[in-house]
Amino acid sequence: MKRSLFYSLAILFFLFPAILLGLKSVTPIWRWGEPLSFNWTLRGWTSFWMDDRILHALWLSLLIALTVTLINLAVGMMAGKALSHSSFKGKSMLETLLLLPLFVPAMAAAIGLHITMIRLGLANHWTGVVIVHLVPTIPYTIKIMKAGYDRLGSDLIDQSRMLKAGPFRTFREIELPLLLPSVRSAVFLVVTISMSQYVLTAIIGGGSVITLPIIYYPFLQSVDDTVMAAFSIVFAILPVFAVLIIELISRFFITKNSFFNRGAV
Amino acid sequence: MKKTMAVLTGIAGLFLMGCSNHTEDTNAAQNIKDKSWEEILQEADGETVRLYMWGGDEGINQYIDEYVKPELQAEHNVTLDRIPLDTNEIIQKLETEKRAGQDDGTIDLIWMNGENFKRAKENDLLFGPFTDQIPSYQAFYDTESLDFQYDFGTETDGLEAPWGKVQFVFHYDASKIQEPPATLDELMKFAEENPGRFTYPAAGDFTGDAFIRHVLYGKASSIEQLLDSPFSEEVAETESEEVWAYLNDMTPHLWRSGATYPSSLTELDRLYSQGEVWMTMGYNEARAEDLVEKGIFPETTESFVLQQPGSIGNTHFLSIPDNSRAKEGAMAAIDFLLSPEAQLAKLEPAYWGENTPIDLALLDDEDKAAFEELDRGETVIDQQTLTDAFLPEIDAEYVPWLQEKWIDEVASQ
Amino acid sequence: MKWLHNNRSAVLLAPALLFLLLVLYSLTMSFVESIRGVDGWTFDYYQGLFQERRLYASFGYSLTITLISTLLSIAIGWGIVRSFHTFIENSPGKWLVWIPMLFPHFVWGYFVLLLLGQSGLISSALFGLGWIEERDQFPVFVQDRNGIGIITTYLWKEIPFVILMLLPVYAQLPKQYGEVIQVLGGSKRHIFKTIEWPWVKPVLLEVALILTAFIFTAYEVPALLGVQYPQMTAELAYDWFYGVSWDERSYAFALLFIAAAVMGFIALISFMILNRQRWLISKSQHSR
Repeated sequence: MKRSLFYSLAILFFLFPAILLGLKSVTPIWRWGEPLSFNWTLRGWTSFWMDDRILHALWLSLLIALTVTLINLAVGMMAGKALSHSSFKGKSMLETLLLLPLFVPAMAAAIGLHITMIRLGLANHWTGVVIVHLVPTIPYTIKIMKAGYDRLGSDLIDQSRMLKAGPFRTFREIELPLLLPSVRSAVFLVVTISMSQYVLTAIIGGGSVITLPIIYYPFLQSVDDTVMAAFSIVFAILPVFAVLIIELISRFFITKNSFFNRGAV
Repeated sequence: MKKTMAVLTGIAGLFLMGCSNHTEDTNAAQNIKDKSWEEILQEADGETVRLYMWGGDEGINQYIDEYVKPELQAEHNVTLDRIPLDTNEIIQKLETEKRAGQDDGTIDLIWMNGENFKRAKENDLLFGPFTDQIPSYQAFYDTESLDFQYDFGTETDGLEAPWGKVQFVFHYDASKIQEPPATLDELMKFAEENPGRFTYPAAGDFTGDAFIRHVLYGKASSIEQLLDSPFSEEVAETESEEVWAYLNDMTPHLWRSGATYPSSLTELDRLYSQGEVWMTMGYNEARAEDLVEKGIFPETTESFVLQQPGSIGNTHFLSIPDNSRAKEGAMAAIDFLLSPEAQLAKLEPAYWGENTPIDLALLDDEDKAAFEELDRGETVIDQQTLTDAFLPEIDAEYVPWLQEKWIDEVASQ
Repeated sequence: MKWLHNNRSAVLLAPALLFLLLVLYSLTMSFVESIRGVDGWTFDYYQGLFQERRLYASFGYSLTITLISTLLSIAIGWGIVRSFHTFIENSPGKWLVWIPMLFPHFVWGYFVLLLLGQSGLISSALFGLGWIEERDQFPVFVQDRNGIGIITTYLWKEIPFVILMLLPVYAQLPKQYGEVIQVLGGSKRHIFKTIEWPWVKPVLLEVALILTAFIFTAYEVPALLGVQYPQMTAELAYDWFYGVSWDERSYAFALLFIAAAVMGFIALISFMILNRQRWLISKSQHSR
């Protein structure tokens, strides 16, 4: 009962819009008062492939998003653990500062970041774009990971250490499997955010770094719904890909006979 | 870890660094000034030019990618990269690069006009003057024309080369409107008789601003006074009084009874495509052609201009940033983009359909005939009507002033 | 031992601190830009900001929409997680919930327009069914003065975000404790108070802060689905930021930085209270 209620709600509110957008990408304009027109057209998709840089842009977007994700997980897990399992002076201050990037919109932060990247010599290069994408993502990851470690508690880790398991083994067999729900959330969020960065990528990448949003965003201002819908669909599929890749990697990384199997489902 | 250390020292180094000086730059400008066109082309050979421009129109993008790119490569061995970015962000990027003292910028060519040019020029972001060195500009354009000497009242000073020319037109659905209005008063009458079927984009939108300027031209005591003198708040205040009266009189008859306005031209176009309103408008006399073709606008779409006050037209330009690394290449690209062949291709409705700033009288007979014979499509008004209605732009400072005032006097009432 | 422990957390925090350094430097540079006047440094813009009439008109409107969107998103998202978390976590349902997050806010706003506009699909369908004769009879849900369109879009986009942030909490919630309490005769309310709430509270707070800051400063959705007057503050900031005049750009900076500072201050106070509570809890646990 609960299950079917959830699924009917989820399909109505979450899946249906995506399907509608998909439909829109292959149909011409729907006018009010007229029955929906289903004269299938591939116009939206052909204009998508028209730009000859699109394949390269897809690949580069993936590369950047995955790099950003890996750095995020490393930084986030380390910081999350420290923030959760130890207390020190100025911890509240530090937590606030780490959340600060989320309070300043990209529009205002872009100028400062651009100046920084120019001085670091990383402007107009994809590595600079990676670093800039860390800004709106790392705060989330640290938060999610800290919350994860909070719930994990330090007891299990201490026990494992007492049983003479090395820190790496403890991490791999205890922490990671138990933290998997948090890792998933973080990965999904980071990939989605990284892939939707337009202003920051455009300013820092300076045109040398053509990612999908760089090609796609200008079309959002178009009255041509069909083209816009087609672009949006590709745009949405890409993060799903990236999340799947990360999921696969994490399955290899977590040993099959890990102590807790339930986390690895 | 090594990388981390490198970044760390890099960040530490930032605090110590000062601004670099710009003497080299002026030298570079001087250097190019002294070069002959042949020498410039030699330098341009093999360069990559990055053209930053608004990228939301497929036809325009195709024109650059499919026509200009290969042709330019063949003619001057210059590689053109088109980078889609909103013009205000381009200017923003240039400003930051200047602040950070970055001499080797990434932008080589910008497409812009009006407010953005003013902002770029005032902040010394542009390279030049260079237009006197562009052969096709000298040969085929009326260089004395005020349209090229002024961009929204700002002197161009040779920092911009004219790339295209557009005029403001209205589009309407002929299946619903028999006789389109020809004056502001008739437009008012139309709105009254057809409540909810007309509206205009809010001020702040490029097209909405232009519509309000038309009302200003129509209601001002003398258009000449507005055009000839620079912006003055006093003149603006007195001349605009009737503008707000007119627009407020119109408000109750507008779409949604004027409770709100479409925030952009895209929104107005969407309303028009749905038949919610019966008119749309825009700053390019040929733009409806493509939208009708795609079935977004109704097939019965036609265009008109107001006889009174007329139709404002403006020129848009190409500029080279001061910190461009490929200035010679950019100049070669401009020379090509301004040439009759490239302009003719731009006029094709299949690509962009936009009018040319070229002076047809300066072309040879064959080229001239090609321009005159090209069919721009059924929704485009004939050239004579457009020329008769043509009105130039006023000082760019009117634009933000009118925006502010519109919000105070109309939107918030 | 204690020293070693603290030292280890310093190592663990090093990359985060490095990141922080980068962010703070960048924000400082942005801030410096905001107080750079035509001739020299000036705080005039921060003062001048408060004399802008348009700002006052937009501020209350913005705040209302922001708070309604944030609170409703959290309430609904939390409700969904509480009722359904047992199978969201381990089922394809999880992927369904995340769909709206895959699309940019702008696209979702456009979708709401496509659906709920007077020329939208629902209005058109009602006409087809003969329930309405004119599209004017369809209520105004988007581009309306009450911001219904804006709030709808934000809810639709942010509820999945709330679910995403809360799901790990419930997935990792120590269920055994609940059983213990139940066996010992504790009430449901008791379970909630002692087990659920302490874990959920910090996350809810952070989500609330993030959403408030985001909705207050984002301009895309209100630009598409709002009205021309009153405008949300973020739209004003956007107009100012990209306007021609240097003064206005500085106003935009001043506005955004003040907003960020206020949010930062609220966050700091909240974290201090939370950390203090946690410290007390853990202290009482370890001295048993």
